[in-house]
Amino acid sequence: MTFLINVENWEWSDIFTITLVGYSVVFLVLVLLIYVYKLMPVVLNYKKRKSVELGGAKMKGTEAHYVAGEVNAAIAMSLILYFNEQHDDESNVITIKRVARTYSPWSSKIYSVNNVLR
Amino acid sequence: MGLLYVLSSFFGQAELYAQTAGESSGSLGRALDIFWNYTAFSSVNYKYLLMICVGLFFIYLAIRYNYEPLLLVPIGTGIIIGNIPIMEGFQIGIYEDGSVLNYLYFGVLKGIYPPLIFLGIGAMTDFSSLISNPRLMLLGAAAQIGVFGTFIGAMALGFEIHEAGAISIIGGADGPTAIFASSKLAPHLIGSIAIAAYSYMALVPVIQPPIMNLLVSKKERLIKMKPPRAVSKLEKILFPLIGLILTLFISPSALPLLGMLFFGNLLKESGVTNRLAETARTSLIDIITIVLGLTVGASTQAVRLLEDPVTGEMVNKGFLTSGSIKIFVLGAVSFAVATAGGLLFAKIMNLFLKEGNKVNPLIGAAGVSAVPDSARVVQHEGLKADPSNHLLMHAMAPNVSGVIGSAVAAGIMMSFLM
Repeated sequence: MTFLINVENWEWSDIFTITLVGYSVVFLVLVLLIYVYKLMPVVLNYKKRKSVELGGAKMKGTEAHYVAGEVNAAIAMSLILYFNEQHDDESNVITIKRVARTYSPWSSKIYSVNNVLR
Repeated sequence: MGLLYVLSSFFGQAELYAQTAGESSGSLGRALDIFWNYTAFSSVNYKYLLMICVGLFFIYLAIRYNYEPLLLVPIGTGIIIGNIPIMEGFQIGIYEDGSVLNYLYFGVLKGIYPPLIFLGIGAMTDFSSLISNPRLMLLGAAAQIGVFGTFIGAMALGFEIHEAGAISIIGGADGPTAIFASSKLAPHLIGSIAIAAYSYMALVPVIQPPIMNLLVSKKERLIKMKPPRAVSKLEKILFPLIGLILTLFISPSALPLLGMLFFGNLLKESGVTNRLAETARTSLIDIITIVLGLTVGASTQAVRLLEDPVTGEMVNKGFLTSGSIKIFVLGAVSFAVATAGGLLFAKIMNLFLKEGNKVNPLIGAAGVSAVPDSARVVQHEGLKADPSNHLLMHAMAPNVSGVIGSAVAAGIMMSFLM
């Protein structure tokens, strides 16, 4: 395997070469990604337009299916508000549930020690 | 501690006394003496105490100011654990073969944990803002000047070339990438590099705003950007696949990091592997964060005397050396340079963009890959200038591209130096 520089006896020119080449490669990778990702919606929309046209209908530009992020945000917000309101529809009648217990002499006041005669 | 020293002295005297009194009493004194030598008090010095204070400070920052608590609490606790002076030979310390901590540290040394962290990051990150406005990726690339600037700086400060390569990744402001690169290039510096990287990541809200104030004018801060377009599901699925193939063909050394990042994102966006994505972004990343933070912290043993292979003398290869201080200084400078690089590049971009398409230069600061902290700082600073200007979604694009950029930069550095 060949190395770009001699790691034992390096010179400053080697260091600047690594820096320059390295930084350029980082830019190259990300610029390539930019172009590919910019191309991606164009290709996908072209395929979609083609299929619509083949079906007999005509599509005017890309706006037909475009929904702005703000519109999505507004829809999402209204849904959240709607669902958050749901649980507030209550009867507002507070009731106490009466629980019937079978009689037991063990806890009866009649047999309590403080139940003195008057 | 002083009290224990007095007690020890007392027991020492008692031993002398016991020798005259009888052998049974002497054995008690000797036992107490041996016990004293086992305790950490017998070999403690100011360096250990200083590091324990650093660990406590990290925990304080996390709890009091909420600075990256998920990282600083495990690291801070790890620093305390790693700096309890122990008697070697009992398989306790992190550098002792066969100890529990040593087994856990294996994942750091061999670069196992960082790719798993990237898997979790991929599974929790929404790349929509980046897909909708790909040109903002340039800001993530521009901020990588911190990496290459630090490389030159480290060489100028006298570090060996592999060490300089490992240190340079601190400039990417990406903890897992810095650990991964140093595990390959300079394993003996993992502790210092990881602590420096995570410390500055935690201090993003302190470091970045002054640089933003210095480089971005009031008028520029008020720039409102177009809202990002809606991104289709198909685009979201194609994003990790294209990114995976394209980036790894150019920089194969970054395969463990970027491969896992895009794989995690595919799990999230495919829509058919929700269970796997859920595990990757919750339980898995949490477990790895705990183990990584704790062991990285524990690796910062203040004093570690090792025999120099050339001279045969015992040399301190622990954390508290002049090298660590230089790494911390370089880390601070590289962070500032990376932030400035992103901000200035955004200003340069604006020179070529039409009115209405201009970017708010503040989002350039998010080019460093401290996700999502730097994006949050941008949002906060943007709101200070104009309470109706929300920059968070725009800042997330350079922020996540910074993650990709720093992983590519680390891959390039490794391919040059390994």
